Amino acid sequence: MKVERITAGHLPGLRDDEVQWHVLPFERDGLRLEVSVPMLTAAQMQALAQRVREAADRHLRAMPVAEIIDVIDRAITRLLDRNDPFRREAEAWLPVVSGYDADMLRLGLTGYFKTFRAPQLRRFVAEDFANPAVLDGFQPAPKGGAVRAFGPDLLVHVWAGNVPALSLWSLVCGLLVKAPGIGKLASAEPLFAGWFARLLAEVHPPLADCLAVVWWRGAGGEGADALYAQADTVLAYGGNDTLAALRQRLPMTARFLPHGHKLGFGLVGAAALDALKAPAVARLAAWDVMRYDQQGCYSPHVFYVERGAPVPPRAFADYLAAELANLQRRFARRPLELEEGSAVAGWQQAVEWGSGDQVLIGPVDAPWSVAYGDSLQALAPTALYRTITVVGVDRLDEVVPVVAKQRAFLQTAGIAASPEELYRLAGLLGAAGVTRISAIGAMSMPEAGWHHDGRFNLIDLVRMAEIEQSAEAAAQPFASYAD
Amino acid sequence: MDKTASLVADLLAFISMDACTADRFDQLALRLFAHQYENNAPFRSFCQRRGATLRKVKTWSDIPAVPIDAFKAMELRSEPALPTERVFMTSGTTGRAARGRHFHPRLDVYDLSMTHNFARRFMSGAQRLPMGILFPDEQAMPNSSLAHYLALARSEFGTVDSRHFLTPEGLDLPGLCAALAQAERTGQAYALLGASFSLVHVMDALREQGRSFRLPAGSRILDTGGYKGQSRELPLEDFYAGLEELLGVPRTHCINMYGMTELSTQFYDDGNAVLPSVKSGPHWIRSRLVEPVTGRSVAPGERGILVHCDLANYNSATTILTEDVGQWAEGGFLLLGRAEGAAAKGCSLAVEEFVKAAAA
Repeated sequence: MKVERITAGHLPGLRDDEVQWHVLPFERDGLRLEVSVPMLTAAQMQALAQRVREAADRHLRAMPVAEIIDVIDRAITRLLDRNDPFRREAEAWLPVVSGYDADMLRLGLTGYFKTFRAPQLRRFVAEDFANPAVLDGFQPAPKGGAVRAFGPDLLVHVWAGNVPALSLWSLVCGLLVKAPGIGKLASAEPLFAGWFARLLAEVHPPLADCLAVVWWRGAGGEGADALYAQADTVLAYGGNDTLAALRQRLPMTARFLPHGHKLGFGLVGAAALDALKAPAVARLAAWDVMRYDQQGCYSPHVFYVERGAPVPPRAFADYLAAELANLQRRFARRPLELEEGSAVAGWQQAVEWGSGDQVLIGPVDAPWSVAYGDSLQALAPTALYRTITVVGVDRLDEVVPVVAKQRAFLQTAGIAASPEELYRLAGLLGAAGVTRISAIGAMSMPEAGWHHDGRFNLIDLVRMAEIEQSAEAAAQPFASYAD
Repeated sequence: MDKTASLVADLLAFISMDACTADRFDQLALRLFAHQYENNAPFRSFCQRRGATLRKVKTWSDIPAVPIDAFKAMELRSEPALPTERVFMTSGTTGRAARGRHFHPRLDVYDLSMTHNFARRFMSGAQRLPMGILFPDEQAMPNSSLAHYLALARSEFGTVDSRHFLTPEGLDLPGLCAALAQAERTGQAYALLGASFSLVHVMDALREQGRSFRLPAGSRILDTGGYKGQSRELPLEDFYAGLEELLGVPRTHCINMYGMTELSTQFYDDGNAVLPSVKSGPHWIRSRLVEPVTGRSVAPGERGILVHCDLANYNSATTILTEDVGQWAEGGFLLLGRAEGAAAKGCSLAVEEFVKAAAA
């Protein structure tokens, strides 16, 4: 078997031979990739935190946001260029570590990266700050006085490995608020964050020391503790158990921004279910199921389909199954580990043998699975990896109380309905806890500047420093020109 | 003689043989498949969904494997319910899921399967041994297949002074120690049988009291079922080292039985000196290792989910898809635990975490 080795992470100020390395092995199609990830001691972690802070003080904080946007844009331009060495690495190795279909990943990366171009980044900033100049200097406040936004003193990222290059989101957020950052790589995707830090250093060398990328095993030992002790803001992705344990370890004064597991669903109204429109909506729905094999927080688990239209819900489910079969030919589901396969089989068995009226559509051994049921049940997750439930309902409104019960897990809802229905349903779903409503087909492609989990990506990171009117007024007598 | 009775008579004769050819196994497996397909309605509809018909199933490995969850959802039976039937139920640890039920209109097949195999694999030649049973008796747990198994071990292979040491009131440690001490004194080989977690409790209690025994040569221990959250999770290495240290039974004589409520036949290893031990069953049960979604056999050397075709399951379904991970080894298979803990990698919610969160 051919073996390739990659050194991951980004450690400004530390030589490779000073650090302990751990090897994460990945195998695919007869290729073995060994990714070395750095494990730092508490002392090294402290020194690293010190270094990124000082570098950010000198370089990052001195840059106007417009200039930071320009630098990120240049880095993203390179990531969009299929001949660029960084892009080539990403296309070569991300399929190996994630197991995802290489073409699906290539399309996914391009679609994702292009939401980080300069115009999108400016919109991203404008989304949170009516006057983006508050990130560069004090700006007059409507109530009087002046106000300025300061990013964290040290932003710690803890990434998950479900969606490749997920780390780009939080890294860009940190840069836009001029925060020095240290991120912990996900074991399942230990590559992208380090590449991005190195790419930034190439594009704009003064940024080389402003970001660091490390790894630790599981919840981490004293190295992780040393980092958490210094963090004033921690942005973390993962399951609720992991996040709860992490919060316990943070200083009381640290700001904690968790992104836990979510449960996406879609609503298909009668207006979208005529003989022309229904197959098209089903195709889009299949794309949302296929992308990253449903591993995203925005990925759908259930589509609720309204009865009473020319295409009944069961027929919609058949269309969806056919589209998933088509997509399997273009973008094959990643091979499942035995345990993952067991979870899928277990979900299928529960459908097949369960007490409800659900049936499985399609061959039981297909690498996708559609369960269809006519009765409204609790919103529950599927087994992922392209396993999806379709439920027929008399009216989409019936779905609202059902999904409202899972309030803590709600985020994305895809809707196919008329404009009036869209706004009406959005009001009900928003009240139930949904924070993002997208077109079906765009559920797994959030737009630039979206409010992840209903929060402000940038505002949540900053603290506002105010010069009150009184200070301004009180300064006047001390001016050189004072009478 | 009606069809079922003649089938059962042939099955009993089959089990009584010392071995069988692959052809004979197939013949009986296909007869049983036809019988179950005809008489067991939920099984038939399952087969139809799988596209498995009497004509398409040509060998035992073509028989669709019924997932063990089906025993919770359906009444898998080929004979109508009888007031005299025995029903074995799974333990249903969480209280959330329904318990799986296995209907036995008559126990002679189960009992012959158990005794014929047990004599060879556990007794290894001994006619009877004094036995200590670390599990409640059948009166206390009438729906436990393990309680019946152990009662059968005691009645068919135990001497008259054999005893159950676990009652609804708990473990009778003084009684057990007295029996162990007597075995030590008389030099009469002794057999201790029970749930793995009960043996952990015994070891913990002995350690607490600073006691240990050196059971005479020929003594043996049978454990089964794992810990099921009923005792601390002891690594297997420590478990068998502890048995050897505290009871003086060499690990070659510590036998682990692998059985399931959904089966009527058990697997054994030949001692646990080397871990993980190799499990094997008698000639009337055969196993496959499959990829769970497709049901296809895995490549040699790969891990897979165990499927068992147990001819003694004449009333329910011969072929069962377990949740146990196995791997082929010389002389049988290695049991590598349950297929669970597939940790969700990211932000999309997986079922297990959701269930936990919803229950909290």
